[in-house]
Amino acid sequence: MTETGPVSGAIPEQASETEGEPRGGSRPRDSSRYWVAAAVLVVGLLVTGVLVWISASTYTNTENRLLRLRVSDAGALIAERLPVVQTPLASAAALADATDGDVGKFESFIAPSVGPPGRGQFVSVSLWRLGVGQPRLLAVVGVTPALAASPARAASFFASAAHSRQLSVTGLMPSKPPRLGYAFTSPGLTGRYVAYAESALPANRQSRFQSTSSFTDLDYALYLGPTQNGANLLVTNVKKLPITGRHASVSIAFGDRTFTFVVTPRRPLAGSFAERLPWIVAVVGLLLSLGAAAFTARLIARRNEAQELAGSLEQIADENRRLYAEQRSIAQTLQQALLPEALPKIRGVETGARYETGVKGVEIGGDWYDLIALDDHRLLLVVGDVSGRGLRAASTMASLRFAIHAYAAQDDPPEAILSKLSNLVNVNTSGQLATVLCAVVDVEAHRLTVTSAGHLPPLLVSDGSGTFVRSAVGVPIGVRAGARYTSTSVEMPKAATLIAFTDGLVERRGESIDAGLERLQRAASSNHVTLDELLGRLIEDLRSEGGDDDTAIAALRWLD
Amino acid sequence: MTFDVVESADRMLTVAVSGELDITNVDTLGSAVAPAIEREPSRLIIDAHELRFADSSAIALWVQWATEVPEIELRDAAPLLRRVVESMGLTEILNVTP
Repeated sequence: MTETGPVSGAIPEQASETEGEPRGGSRPRDSSRYWVAAAVLVVGLLVTGVLVWISASTYTNTENRLLRLRVSDAGALIAERLPVVQTPLASAAALADATDGDVGKFESFIAPSVGPPGRGQFVSVSLWRLGVGQPRLLAVVGVTPALAASPARAASFFASAAHSRQLSVTGLMPSKPPRLGYAFTSPGLTGRYVAYAESALPANRQSRFQSTSSFTDLDYALYLGPTQNGANLLVTNVKKLPITGRHASVSIAFGDRTFTFVVTPRRPLAGSFAERLPWIVAVVGLLLSLGAAAFTARLIARRNEAQELAGSLEQIADENRRLYAEQRSIAQTLQQALLPEALPKIRGVETGARYETGVKGVEIGGDWYDLIALDDHRLLLVVGDVSGRGLRAASTMASLRFAIHAYAAQDDPPEAILSKLSNLVNVNTSGQLATVLCAVVDVEAHRLTVTSAGHLPPLLVSDGSGTFVRSAVGVPIGVRAGARYTSTSVEMPKAATLIAFTDGLVERRGESIDAGLERLQRAASSNHVTLDELLGRLIEDLRSEGGDDDTAIAALRWLD
Repeated sequence: MTFDVVESADRMLTVAVSGELDITNVDTLGSAVAPAIEREPSRLIIDAHELRFADSSAIALWVQWATEVPEIELRDAAPLLRRVVESMGLTEILNVTP
């Protein structure tokens, strides 16, 4: 007999070492992949920063440009006031010159331009005559000019105004409220006349733009002179000076003086959206960056999970493969242990046997074979098959096999052996049936006696042709206790080969059992080889690919 | 493998099995039919006309049923199956009918 498949005692060898190692090695590498999420966050923040900077500087540039446009517009408006101030004074001076200082004509000419603060253009207009010594006040329309209270100042102002071909502007007059004075000197045909006007600055020098003005979005301050000198403040709408922050200024020539006009925006000139845009970009960019980083982290986490899962699935698969191999190995070891250790030797015949586990053979099967020497010239050849698989089938098989040994030792004939076996198995309690074939071979008499408990007939091959030894088939063991069996005897030709087998050798799903028997008949007949080789070939050739049933064969051949 | 279990009024139990019945699913059939057999039918018919394959554990189950009911019949079994039953010497036990 031969063994098939590896039989090994060293099975649980690597049970413990496969556990931690691959996981422990891969964990830190997995978590370090989160740097990708961090990189996404950093890149997102950088991009956000750049966009914020661009939108902020665009906003600043736009605001500055708009502010410059506005301040020059406002400056132009102020410059347009020059003729409004200068024309009546120039005309009055010319009139005085032409009428040689006619006070009446002067007064009636200039009266429409004079009124209390807020009503008329000027609070006071006066006519002065220049000559040797102090300038002389000829006429006054409106209130007394503040300049009149300071003859020395009047003298020096008119002296310089006399040489000017344009409007001369005084410094601030210290009155309540302060005033600003303008003078225009006639060309001097009949004498040197000066038309001098004063206008009052608003109380506290505070004045708002009219609500209909196009400059309501600006704060402003207007100074006399080229600098933001608080002492020379003419008018403003803000409480706190000087104006700081984003501001623009323009210098405006006004007569012989210069005004400085400073503006600052009350609100973003390009609209509040432009002002908020950098913040919006920052917030949206930050959120997007965080979202992208979180999303990336989640993707990585998923991927890690999937890898871990794949890893553990692989481990489980490895474990399953190992367990499968282990179980198969155990099954085969056990099966071999339940089969005869050695075959008996009887003079004149050669014996052989095979046991083949089905490919799905992780479980021990219920097939067996046996060869028992009854005496020096008779041999009992047994093959059997317990239905089902696993330990239950195997233990029933073992008990039947050993019972046959015991009954054979008592010299029971095969039909009695089977009848006694039928007391050992009950399909009602165990759900098992066993088919058993007993063949008693008298080597010297060339006589074969076959007894079958539901088993397939043995094949007898001689002279290159095989025939099945048909006998009465009794019920399988387990159907009922005390079942009766009948033996059939045949003469054996010389140089014959007897092959008994279980159904795994011939049965295929979807095919008649007769087709399998014929296949065996052909395969066994066409071989002129040793018994061992013959059994090897039968196993190899006949077992269907992926045959899932166990197969047992016992054979005997007469030696020539 | 699928099956139908029908208990009729005259205490006749019919078990129709289709597909392939083998060691992997024979216990399912056995436990499904057991309660009906406990109600002691007078006759059990195994309707095998849609059964493509039955292995020895399936046949063992039927033989078990055969010992538990007064009368059994394996009806409409395919020739392949009838041949297996015959080779096991069970044609009479299972009362194989065409």
